[in-house]
Amino acid sequence: MRKITFKIHRFDGQKSWIQEYTLDHQPGKTILWALIQIKETLDPSLNFTASCRHAICGACAVRVNGQATLACETPLDKMLKRWESDTLILEPLQNFKLIRDLVVDWEPKAERLAELKPWLMPKDEFNKESGCRQSPEDFKKINKNSDCILCGCCASECNKLSGNNSDFLEPFVFAKAQRFVADSRDKNPVERLSAAINHGAWKCQHCQECVAKCPKGLSPAEDISNLRQEAIAKGLVEHSGVRHAKAFLDDIKKTGRLNEGMMAVKTDGLVKSIGNIPFALRLMSKGKLNPAHMFPKPIKEVAEVRAIILAVKESEKARNIAIAKRSEAHTNPDVQRPKEAAK
Amino acid sequence: MMKYAFFPGCVLEGASQEAYTATTKVAQALGIELVEIPGWTCCGGSHLQDYDKTAALAVNARNIALAEKMGLPVLTVCNTCTLMLREAKHELDNGAKELVNPALQQAGLEYTGTSPVAHFLWMLIKDYGLDKLKKKVKKPLKGMKVAGYYGCHILRPPHIMGFEDHANPHSLEDLIRALGAEPVPFDARLKCCGFHSVFTSKEDTMKATGTINLSALEGGADCTVTPCPLCQMQLDMYQPEGKRAVNAKDDIPALHLTQLIGLALGYTAEELGMKRHIVNTGILLAGR
Repeated sequence: MRKITFKIHRFDGQKSWIQEYTLDHQPGKTILWALIQIKETLDPSLNFTASCRHAICGACAVRVNGQATLACETPLDKMLKRWESDTLILEPLQNFKLIRDLVVDWEPKAERLAELKPWLMPKDEFNKESGCRQSPEDFKKINKNSDCILCGCCASECNKLSGNNSDFLEPFVFAKAQRFVADSRDKNPVERLSAAINHGAWKCQHCQECVAKCPKGLSPAEDISNLRQEAIAKGLVEHSGVRHAKAFLDDIKKTGRLNEGMMAVKTDGLVKSIGNIPFALRLMSKGKLNPAHMFPKPIKEVAEVRAIILAVKESEKARNIAIAKRSEAHTNPDVQRPKEAAK
Repeated sequence: MMKYAFFPGCVLEGASQEAYTATTKVAQALGIELVEIPGWTCCGGSHLQDYDKTAALAVNARNIALAEKMGLPVLTVCNTCTLMLREAKHELDNGAKELVNPALQQAGLEYTGTSPVAHFLWMLIKDYGLDKLKKKVKKPLKGMKVAGYYGCHILRPPHIMGFEDHANPHSLEDLIRALGAEPVPFDARLKCCGFHSVFTSKEDTMKATGTINLSALEGGADCTVTPCPLCQMQLDMYQPEGKRAVNAKDDIPALHLTQLIGLALGYTAEELGMKRHIVNTGILLAGR
């Protein structure tokens, strides 16, 4: 009989250790099946959380060989194949306070979630009589993010949170913020945007782990990017992150290529960049930073590049106006909807 | 002969010119023709979309359309360029083509979706073949212990990249083995080097960098190798700051993927631009 070994991270509130459990292999089972099997047949003292078994409640996220996943929907055989091994390591989510074994504390996370006010603040024009309507197009903008089940997989593998969680929030918090910022019925996007920026939206490392780990197909990294763009659109531009991102567009429009040599000055300003001089000298000594390249010549097609950017932005604007008109027709009860008009 | 529309990316023109040299030399030795895309522009470096997503789509649609005009598949050598180009391609193939093509057509270009975008590492494995590569190895890197460090954007997000299992990839280890070297396992092999937040979150970035280098050393590696010039910059240029951030003592050379291949193909360290590295690569090459 094929045996599967699980090395499980245990924690009793004070000390932690790794405990091994061995089960007979059964095809077609899940990681959660293994946990339940261990608890029921081998060790009733093993603690983990799980409820719906259908990837809806988000309670059973654990790390399998260092990668956060929902235990209930993760096939055991897929993991054995992925890791080419009959031994798997099960650990609690990272970047959470640990309670026992595989059980993590959500209490502090709920408080952090509340920082970005994850509830609808309806526009004043809505009331009991006219309702709080939204067009299908506007609903599409928030639909994906409404699927977040707060499982914590994104937070567990977030490289920025692992580095320091005091000036950043969990990816799911930013995803939730974006869900309300993008909601056509909400009246307070600026308040949320400024909270998102103050809580580190420009500090995301772009590692894309949150996107890779989300069991529901959300893209928190993209939400952070959208929050950044929205913040800029609302005038929240006093940030090195904004200047850094803008430098890319400016360079492309100016020469077509990035001017690495001037990046620090453009992002941090001349004064702060003076602190970078020892680093710059280090690079210059190896020819990695060439002062002669500070003023590069543009590619010869640069006018064409500018024209293409402009033209695409124009056609996007036209498309957005058309969408907005359709939305208005849908949400404003005074305007006849096309379907009703056709009758 | 294999022929590609080569997208070098800005870094290979600047701080990582040695990667340009190594890529060109390796391609030449393997009989792969790289035709640099005339008039390519910066991909936006995974920052442009935060300022202006539409501009990022427009410039990369143009980059890909230029390659289509050449009738060649796009070959990249930087993880982030690969991600930016593939992300644009994903959008273009899912409805954005209609938005962009009228603008491209004014410049005599059109995006049709005929040129795939692949990284040099993928090309070697899928198009060229590691067996064929093994036959070209002149100086097997016997005894060299190499920490294959992937970097984020060659793996994630998986729905855009998708070349291999993002959670347990093995392309880099397979390649290291094909060159006669020994890939070593190390904890941080899939972690982020922090490059993209070096300005906004410097302390975390240096900690990330230091952790990766230290993890590779603890794994017993003689050097790290990475398919991404941005990761290489981070691991090499910022190694002193990284060491300080994690209280590490030892240095570890960081090689571009094409430099490691170049060594096995018989090029000298000097020919591959290793003198331009911040961390001395001499220890690695002693006795070779």
